[in-house]
Amino acid sequence: MSSSANTVAMGEKRPRIYSREAVLFGCIVFLVLFVLFTAAASRMYHKTIHVLADNWFDQGEVSFRAGDIKSALTDYRNALVYSPDNAKFQFHLAQALAAAGRGDEGRSYLLNLLSESPGSGEVNLALARIAAHKVLTADALRYYHGAIYGEWDNDPIAMRWQVRRELAEYLLDRGLQRQAVPEIIALADSTPASDTEQLRIVGNLLLKAKLWTRALDVFRTLLAVNASDEAPLLGAATSAFNLGRYSAALDYFDKLPEKDRTAPGIAEMYKTSQQITEMNPFLPDLSREAKARKAATAVSLAATRLQQCATQVGQSLTATPSQTQLQKAFAESKEFTPDENWRNIAKHPEAVDEIMGHAFEMENAAAAACGEPEGADRALWLFGRSRGVSAQ
Amino acid sequence: MTEPTAVTSPGTIPPAADESVNSTSQSGIRAMWESWTNRVFTMREDRFFLFLAVLIGILSGLAVVCFRIAIEWTQIELLGSSISPTFPRVILAPTLAGFAVALLVIYAFPRARGSGVNQTKSAVYVSNGYIPFNTVVGKFITCALAIGSGQSLGPEDPSLQMGAGIASLIGRRLRLSQEKVRLIAPVGAAAGLAAAFNAPISAVLFVLEEVIGTWSAGVLGAIVLAAISSVVTMRAFLGAESMFRVPPFRVAKPADLLAYVALGVVGGLASLVFLKWLAYARPRMQSLPRWTQHFQPAAAGLLIGIIGIRLPQVMGAGYPIIDQAMHGQFTWKLLLVLAALKILATGISFLSGTPGGMFAPSLFIGAMLGGAVGAIEQHFFPALPGTVGTFALVGMGTFFAGFLRVPITSVFMVIEVSGNYTAILPVMISSLIAYGISRSYVKVPLFDLLARQDGLVLPSVEEQREQMILTVEDAMRVDAALVLERTDSVADALKRLEGKEGLLSFLRLRPGEWNFIERSELRRLAADTSQSHTVEEINSKGPLPFVFRDMSLEEALHWAGDWPALPVLSRADLSKLEGVVTLDDILKAFRKVPVR
Repeated sequence: MSSSANTVAMGEKRPRIYSREAVLFGCIVFLVLFVLFTAAASRMYHKTIHVLADNWFDQGEVSFRAGDIKSALTDYRNALVYSPDNAKFQFHLAQALAAAGRGDEGRSYLLNLLSESPGSGEVNLALARIAAHKVLTADALRYYHGAIYGEWDNDPIAMRWQVRRELAEYLLDRGLQRQAVPEIIALADSTPASDTEQLRIVGNLLLKAKLWTRALDVFRTLLAVNASDEAPLLGAATSAFNLGRYSAALDYFDKLPEKDRTAPGIAEMYKTSQQITEMNPFLPDLSREAKARKAATAVSLAATRLQQCATQVGQSLTATPSQTQLQKAFAESKEFTPDENWRNIAKHPEAVDEIMGHAFEMENAAAAACGEPEGADRALWLFGRSRGVSAQ
Repeated sequence: MTEPTAVTSPGTIPPAADESVNSTSQSGIRAMWESWTNRVFTMREDRFFLFLAVLIGILSGLAVVCFRIAIEWTQIELLGSSISPTFPRVILAPTLAGFAVALLVIYAFPRARGSGVNQTKSAVYVSNGYIPFNTVVGKFITCALAIGSGQSLGPEDPSLQMGAGIASLIGRRLRLSQEKVRLIAPVGAAAGLAAAFNAPISAVLFVLEEVIGTWSAGVLGAIVLAAISSVVTMRAFLGAESMFRVPPFRVAKPADLLAYVALGVVGGLASLVFLKWLAYARPRMQSLPRWTQHFQPAAAGLLIGIIGIRLPQVMGAGYPIIDQAMHGQFTWKLLLVLAALKILATGISFLSGTPGGMFAPSLFIGAMLGGAVGAIEQHFFPALPGTVGTFALVGMGTFFAGFLRVPITSVFMVIEVSGNYTAILPVMISSLIAYGISRSYVKVPLFDLLARQDGLVLPSVEEQREQMILTVEDAMRVDAALVLERTDSVADALKRLEGKEGLLSFLRLRPGEWNFIERSELRRLAADTSQSHTVEEINSKGPLPFVFRDMSLEEALHWAGDWPALPVLSRADLSKLEGVVTLDDILKAFRKVPVR
């Protein structure tokens, strides 16, 4: 290796000459000292920026909780300046952005977090909420499922239950009944029988999804804990009514306070349940005469409705041969009417079923021609449907 | 003399109680040191150079860590810890710091002025690699103060110069040869830049493209080693995370890439505007009276402070703001305003003579432009893949390529600073477009332009790229030779040459062995009619050195003067003549090329 001294550039003061060994030794000593100095400076620097980051984040949390989203955004951003990779800070900033109605901006941070931890329940949920807010249903479903099957730091079972509930509510709100049903069933299956609060929520979701049988089961479970609890009573009554179990529905309605029974929507169900129970000849412990009277009343009611409907649509019931449903139902009832007074029926209790069947047929024919009936006719029509006589 | 008491393993310190043992151990350590230094100094020079590259890399990495910490601390102390500084600070900090920087540059560190890239390059080509250590200290202090106070400049170019300065000092103190001292400065430059950017590949490429100015492999190993050591050192103290985090994206179909063409055009035009402005304004600023230099950085600081009252995002290097833009935090209108104001602020800072780099501001401008273009495109074409962040990332590379004219570095830089490989195709497309636009309207790259304004003419890779490399193919003539075999008769050969004055005769002896036959020799032998002569009997010249059509003309020139003509052979078959080239042909070809 040459040791030329002509490395000194023109105009430079000639440096003092040291041996290479001395220079190398000096370099290594300097390197060690420099490492120590840098380590100390770096330690102090990191401490300072961590403190600053935490302070700004705490300030952001205070602002966010106080509803001052604008200040919270600035604070979270300041925190991220000092700790740009902090997932918690990014997540909170994204949430604040979403809360400020800037979901797209928040989404960008969340997607970044998701790419780093695709299984994060929290991040998936936040993304799902943004997608739900923007009515991007496919994305919302994907992220909600990501959250349900994702990882949660605290109480994962409860969090997953909450997320599924949120998803079910979102789907029901969007009118997506078909997608909502499996979620609600899964939610019901994952709800412990001892948790009345969760059961209450599940019951209401089952009602909204018109899953009456499951809803009735859930409300019965709740009533087993507290028989006078109004919400489960109302839920059970509604479920039983929609299942055509009018006697059971009436029982639940009767246990409700007066104010609940007269509430809009409930009062009609209650009255219908009462009417059906009153006209029901199949109740146990009824005398032969009572059964006969109820059957005769039902047939008479149905015949009147048939006549009124025929007049309304301008059809002659006596036309032969019978062509329309109304005419056919009328012809069948004519075959029977001579004996339809209650005393005759009482003599033949085995005919109650057949007589009621005719009454239901007449109501069905009238409903098909003139639309759904009202009042007592509606009660009889619904009663018929609950007995398995479907509308034509 | 004491007897050696025990064999100690290297580095083991014997008990201090026994003086004789102590003296033995001291001599042992000395022996070890001597043995090690002997080993180091008896290394082959190229190996020693690599060892130095590692040392320089570590020292440069440490210097850059301290530099970044100094900038951050200065910023926190002067502007406060919020990204939106309060009113008195936003005006006072850059103004007063600007004044202090001006005094330091004028009276203490005059060589600290400028970005650092040109200064390093001129040190390599003008001062034999000499960079005074005072410049390193000055660059550190003045840049930390300027950038920390909000001047719109970046820390990368100064880091490059600091690394080069450290390397230069070590090279001089170790009394390396002049050639090595000249080469060691770029090694340090790569180390400094790599640590500042956390991007070793880009740093190596940039130093090759811009500082050395030639694609020479001579110091490549040392440069790579220094860059890696400095990055490892920096990461040990500041962490290994990528500079920017961009949400993942993918280009679904080739047509999607068209979206980035528009970005390339916008980036190219913006870089053109910035370049033209700097080229126009810098000589005018430099022609102002000398006393104004005391106040130029302060005035720049005041103007930037005024901008900062409303838009503090344009102050400083702006990395947190780039990160926000990548996460779609700004509307396209704000992004455009930020890009325009950053061009203004950076131009003001740079023209005022405040020390600081252009890398970070150009990345900022590119990110804002990219984000704006992305947001506008997505407004009209919502099905486009990628987010605003993607466009911001690609925009960084685009503007960088157009403004600094380093297209290869820009592509790798984008990948390294984001850790995202998927952006490579969009960046390549838009960078090339921006580079093409910029080169079409400003012939000289930025750093060369600045050097020329300072009266220096330094080599550049771009010039090399533009140089036409002539090959034998450009000079050779086909169908200008007659190939003769040993057994051909002279009379027949003369008959074939009849009426073809320019035709040259070659004798094919065996594959790869060719001789030249003068026409006069043929005639001389043909005059002897006493017997029939074959070509073999002729006194031919050879064996001739042969060339291939793809060889450079410079190479052919080595032999062309010594022989009447050179055969151009096929690489696949050395017995096949593809053409012929003479000295005249070569000179004619050189004369055809326009002189730059």
